[in-house]
Amino acid sequence: MLERLRSPWSDRRAELSLGAVSLLIGFAVVAMVVFVTIQAWPTFSHNGLSWLGSGGKLEEQISAMQETSVHPPASAYHLRAWPLIWGTILTAGVAVVLGLAIAVLSSIFIVELAPTRLRRIAIPVIRLLASVPSVVYGLIGILVLVPFVGNHVISPAEKTSVQDTVLLTGKSLGVAIVILTVMITPIMIALICEALASVPNAWREGAIALGVNPVRAILAVTVRAARPAIVAAAVLATARALGEAIMISMVDGGRDFAPRLSDGITFLFEPLRTLASAIVDYHDGIGAPALKSTLYAFALLMLLSAFALSVGGYLIKLPMRKYQVRG
Amino acid sequence: MSPEEMLLDPLRLAAEAEPERIQPQRRIHAAEQPGQGPVVPPVRTIVLDRAPLPAPPPSERASVRTQLAGAGPERLRLEEVSIDYGPKQAVKSVSLSIHQGEVLALIGPSGCGKTTLLRTLNRLTELTPSASRAGRIMLDGEDIHELPDTTLRGRVAMVFQQPNPFPMSIFDNVAFALREQSRKRPRRRELEPQVIEALRRAGLYEEVRDNLDGPALRLSGGQQQRLCIARAIAPRPEVLLMDEPCSALDPISTKTIEKLIGELRRDLAVVVVTHNLAQAHRIADKVAFMYLGDLIEYGSTAQVFDEPRATRTRDYVGGAFG
Ligand SMILES: Nc1ncnc2c1ncn2[C@@H]1O[C@H](COP(=O)(O)OP(=O)(O)OP(=O)(O)O)[C@@H](O)[C@H]1O
Ligand SMILES: [Mg+2]
Repeated sequence: MLERLRSPWSDRRAELSLGAVSLLIGFAVVAMVVFVTIQAWPTFSHNGLSWLGSGGKLEEQISAMQETSVHPPASAYHLRAWPLIWGTILTAGVAVVLGLAIAVLSSIFIVELAPTRLRRIAIPVIRLLASVPSVVYGLIGILVLVPFVGNHVISPAEKTSVQDTVLLTGKSLGVAIVILTVMITPIMIALICEALASVPNAWREGAIALGVNPVRAILAVTVRAARPAIVAAAVLATARALGEAIMISMVDGGRDFAPRLSDGITFLFEPLRTLASAIVDYHDGIGAPALKSTLYAFALLMLLSAFALSVGGYLIKLPMRKYQVRG
Repeated sequence: MSPEEMLLDPLRLAAEAEPERIQPQRRIHAAEQPGQGPVVPPVRTIVLDRAPLPAPPPSERASVRTQLAGAGPERLRLEEVSIDYGPKQAVKSVSLSIHQGEVLALIGPSGCGKTTLLRTLNRLTELTPSASRAGRIMLDGEDIHELPDTTLRGRVAMVFQQPNPFPMSIFDNVAFALREQSRKRPRRRELEPQVIEALRRAGLYEEVRDNLDGPALRLSGGQQQRLCIARAIAPRPEVLLMDEPCSALDPISTKTIEKLIGELRRDLAVVVVTHNLAQAHRIADKVAFMYLGDLIEYGSTAQVFDEPRATRTRDYVGGAFG
């Protein structure tokens, strides 16, 4: 048996087996999407597009679902998911924008400006950070950051200003964003550093030899050449941020509340819940078919966003790649 | 001595032929150029291993070249330039002068410091942390280390051994320095004449005129190198440095670029590093032979190839033509 594996494969055989594996994976993805869509369908057919909107209290809507029987009436599916969608957009969006800015700047520093010794240390450390399991970040968040924010950062005045609607405990949008940023930035730095380092030195030198100052040379040539990798890193980080469930559910306060921009800076201290953490928080209740279908609908929404993200990333990279072909 | 050689560098040749008379000659020369101070003759005295050969009749090609050239004003002058990489001395007290309208070829065995010397002329060696320099390099009478490095590199452009066009369109490559050097971003329409002019001078325009927005990296190697030349000459530098510009190219592209160098030197001083002695012989007006960091011989092409003074030079060029 081993003998046969060791003997070289003919091209034809390798092609067939690789083709079969890819086909299998493609099939599994399609099957998963179809399955999730079928499961989520009742939710959408009862709510229509207003499912995405806001209205009423989401917590009440969900507990109403849990109380319905195995054959729920149509009204049991009633849900307005906006607070979760808003929570997801806020946490992932702000974390990715912040993280991307930090990642681009620190990668430029590490690859182009830092002394070699620092670079030799920084890159492995960042790779290590990128591989820390997210639940560890969640634990640090809940044990360190949440109490700190709750006791020292949020002022009593801020607590009273919103006390009619929500209790500020420290579990908040702000903490979720900070931890999410810390979680997704190292992987972006690692990817962008690699891309910057692989930009041929001849381009850098060529630009400097043309009388361009070194900082402009980095921006106009090196970073420019690394743009596709920066986009890819952002897409990957966004996907991770969208799907992060456990860590967020530990620090987000678990309230189906949409943080209100109108509250000014206090907005950062308001609790929230995201699509992914909602699935974690409510998965016990899937005995109720209405809730089960609703959770599948959350999942479908995330799946579709992930696809949209990949396609979007691909489309953004197309014009950037235009000039990079060699030969 | 042939009249043609006198024309090339009367002071030098006279001084070397009659060393004991160097002082008076030098004074006369200095008096002629009061603004520039005395011209420093090569400080490393060349050890004559044998008596100079009687001047051979000038080869036909050399005389054609000399008539074309007409050396212009001095652009760059190196005064006892040494470059060290840490403890290793790569260039040892080299003095040279480079004139407009002239092609200077730097030749010598591998590792003798040609690239190091060339990269020092536009201060690219400063990018190497371990490198240090001694001596002065004057561009039009100004010490290049007193100029801002970006200004200097705008005036002393460089073409590298490996073609290195940027991953941009052909147009953007040529316009790169023009855009970066102007304060506010010029429009494409304003840049177009300069870009086309540079491509013309680099002998590439006819081949790419319909494809100015195409990716530069899809050009052939020879076209890429000519694009790099266009990119370097677009901001109208005074000196063009070329480090083995043809070593990655096929014979036809090489021929094109050699022809190009011949044309470019009309309004530029050109310094070319080359391993190809036949090429140096074809394109250069002056040749400098380096060996282990020393400048062993510097003179007109005909003199260095046909009547080298140092044994090392004779052995080196003899290998090619002997
Ligand atoms: N960055 C560097 N650090 C240390 N030493 C260097 C560096 N670059 C060159 N050298 C040394 O300086 C000497 C001259 O190198 P240089 O590249 O100038 O030679 P060269 O004449 O251009 O050779 P070639 O014809 O092979 O290109 C060599 O001995 C080389 O080892
Ligand atoms: Mg070299």
